[in-house]
Amino acid sequence: MAHQVHAYHMVDPSPWPLTGAVGALLLTSGLAIWMHFHNMTLLALGLILLLLTMYQWWRDIVREGTFQGHHTPPVQKGLRYGMILFITSEVFFFLGFFWAFYHSSLAPTPELGGCWPPTGITPLDPFEVPLLNTAVLLASGVTVTWAHHSIMEGHRKEAIQSLTLTILLGFYFTFLQAMEYYEAPFTIADGVYGSTFFVATGFHGLHVIIGSTFLAICLLRQVLYHFTSEHHFGFEAAAWYWHFVDVVWLFLYISIYWWGS
Amino acid sequence: MAARLLLRSAVRAAAACRSVRTPALSRSMAAGGIPTDEEQATGLEKVIMKAMKHGEDPFNMMKPKHYAGSKADPHLVPSITNKRIVGCVCEEDNTAVVWFWLHEGEAQRCPSCGAHYKLVPHELPH
Repeated sequence: MAHQVHAYHMVDPSPWPLTGAVGALLLTSGLAIWMHFHNMTLLALGLILLLLTMYQWWRDIVREGTFQGHHTPPVQKGLRYGMILFITSEVFFFLGFFWAFYHSSLAPTPELGGCWPPTGITPLDPFEVPLLNTAVLLASGVTVTWAHHSIMEGHRKEAIQSLTLTILLGFYFTFLQAMEYYEAPFTIADGVYGSTFFVATGFHGLHVIIGSTFLAICLLRQVLYHFTSEHHFGFEAAAWYWHFVDVVWLFLYISIYWWGS
Repeated sequence: MAARLLLRSAVRAAAACRSVRTPALSRSMAAGGIPTDEEQATGLEKVIMKAMKHGEDPFNMMKPKHYAGSKADPHLVPSITNKRIVGCVCEEDNTAVVWFWLHEGEAQRCPSCGAHYKLVPHELPH
């Protein structure tokens, strides 16, 4: 079985990095073609290829770790470092958009009326739906921690219930935010206020959807008995990502919704 | 909120009742429904888990043990064949590592600092 002198995982050859790279190329070029020539073919092709790649690549990782036992302690340590580094890169991604927001809002130009919010913009009341959204995400942080402790203590039913609750709260946030987007009195085209607001909150919303999807996969795996009370790194990674999404929202709420109103 | 707390205390009470009947199993498929590594680990992860339970480290995951390096207490170097390369950092923070082959049999000495090294046969689990 293990004809190796080390505890690391030398992965079998796989086509998914190539299909992922091709998919990313088709997605990006497809986006450009769609914007200029109104044709969605390349974009759709790239999206499908990327989704198929993600599904099959991560399915292979689950097979290698859970079913074949390749995720030894040093391998798991590497996965932990990987997830931490990825989340760190996402922090820097959002840092850029916060920089843009503060650049424009701390010294508003005469074209905006020399004030923030700019003249003519009616910002959303931070103590209405945005405050509810804050409560929803904070509660989901509690439920995901509850789920983690349930797994560690070996309580299957509690783990499934608390993880489901976390995902439902995530969906509730997305639904509320979608309603807010629909009802907002300003659009992305409304000057730098609209740009910074919708790009920052929009990317955050995308990350909420990604995080919810990750948690949903974890729920499926928990139901299928993949996780043990000691070894459940996939769940931990999803929980870390979810906490990151929550923290980003808190910064968004304080900066854009509250201070910026 | 109250319903959740009630549910939680009900689950805990049920678990307590169960654990009274099976006192040895506090965490397992039988007790809570989530398997343990003991029950479910497989492949290399299981091999390593079993070895670590016996205090063994067949894949050299841990730092090597500390030896004096004298004739009476030589550095023991595990090897799956009859020779292994040794790199001696004679003094702490030395940047020039002294490399040499260590063969099975009598202990050899580092050509630079004279520390004793002895090859020890090491079985790979398979």
